[in-house]
Amino acid sequence: MSKIFVITSGKGGVGKTTTTANLGVGLAMRGQKVALIDTDTGLRNLDLLLGLENRIMYDLIDVTEGRVPYKKALVRHKKYETLFLLPTSQVKDKMAVNPEQLVKLCDEMRKEFDYILIDCPAGIEQGFKTAIAAADVAIVVTMPEISAVRDADKIIGELGRADKDTIKLIVNRIRPQMVEAGDMLAMDDINDILSIDCIGQVPDDVKVVTSTNRGEPCITMKDSQAGQAYRNIVGRIMGENVPFMKFEKEGFLARLKHVFGM
Amino acid sequence: MSEEIVKIKGGAAGLQLSFAPQADFGAIEAELRRRLESGSGFFLRGTLVLLPPDVLQDNERTALQKMFHKYGLICRVARSEAKTAVKTVKKQPEQQKQAAPPQPAVQEMVVVNRTLRGGQEIKTPSSVLVCGNVNPGAQIIAGGSIDIRGTCRGLVHAGAYGDTSAFVIADHLMPTQIRIADIIARSPDKQEKTERAERASLKDGKIVIEPIER
Repeated sequence: MSKIFVITSGKGGVGKTTTTANLGVGLAMRGQKVALIDTDTGLRNLDLLLGLENRIMYDLIDVTEGRVPYKKALVRHKKYETLFLLPTSQVKDKMAVNPEQLVKLCDEMRKEFDYILIDCPAGIEQGFKTAIAAADVAIVVTMPEISAVRDADKIIGELGRADKDTIKLIVNRIRPQMVEAGDMLAMDDINDILSIDCIGQVPDDVKVVTSTNRGEPCITMKDSQAGQAYRNIVGRIMGENVPFMKFEKEGFLARLKHVFGM
Repeated sequence: MSEEIVKIKGGAAGLQLSFAPQADFGAIEAELRRRLESGSGFFLRGTLVLLPPDVLQDNERTALQKMFHKYGLICRVARSEAKTAVKTVKKQPEQQKQAAPPQPAVQEMVVVNRTLRGGQEIKTPSSVLVCGNVNPGAQIIAGGSIDIRGTCRGLVHAGAYGDTSAFVIADHLMPTQIRIADIIARSPDKQEKTERAERASLKDGKIVIEPIER
């Protein structure tokens, strides 16, 4: 039986799509059969991050409106054979899909996949309501920043109202030096306010940007800290007990490297 | 000693003390101190100790409360109301009755057994008990008082329909705004997490925050 995750955040730009792409690739690297569904209709990005834009033939709207079966719309990843993307339309808007349609689609796809990850649009309107409708588990992505935490809090409230009780937290784009200097919210402050189970702490990493531009998620990079953090999250999703990374040391190393101009 | 000066009875709420009717305060105090120092299994840290109502003078009561506090116990005067009834119905606390203008004897109470998150609102003519946090962006508007068993970071309005005797209590009281009746106070621009439970109430037309035991 497959598990359906929705990756959501409320605020834009905190890394929902990046997280979806990385977790999808990570699960596929471990041999799981994974489907990624982009529900950010009109502002689709997930295909870009995976480098699959030029292979899209049909989209989510074609499937929900019954023009093609979902298997025809799935795009297989060029490198990871068990990873599939169901892209959305770039021309339609969020009203084009409703919650019932997505639930029906996911019920159908459940039989075929180990994991289904739904990339949720920003906001708390129709698009959000559609995206969360089918999920068993919600992953809330936030940043150590007061507005992102505030929006995450709101989203957790909304998820509760929609009876989504299994909620996990990923804190993205942490800058250890800034946290140490007291210029950024620390994990304790975030847990204090959100008080939900945290499954990942991802450091801010320039490699995320380069990997996004190349269409190859950073989870594949051995030397990327963010990649390592995502690999840890994948382990935790698969039920392993992975300890959290320590940033202080790496922060110090990074500074050393800086001194030596590396 | 034919009769015990101090009797201790364990209950669901805590330890209920009762004193022999003729015993003088000095003897009671000495006996309690002896028991506390003997490390009796009764007095574990954090235990709630209830003093009998209407027996002690004010200064005697404070002396005992101080002593229990020193040993890490929480000491309160038992109220005549049943502790278990708090869940649904709460009578006005005694000290409130004296200060406040005549009030209905029984007041409804809304119990919220979860954390109130940003954008969520509780609006009620009665009092509110929150077993959880009140996060920034959340609002409680209550006709009566507000008790938060957790951290309060949201907006709280007690006595929203004019009850100036209403108050707000929280384990960590650091709200964006407190309103009591028609008086508004906002948080300082830099706020530290408070270590002790605090209570905000109206005194001389101003909102005053003071630490409390609980």
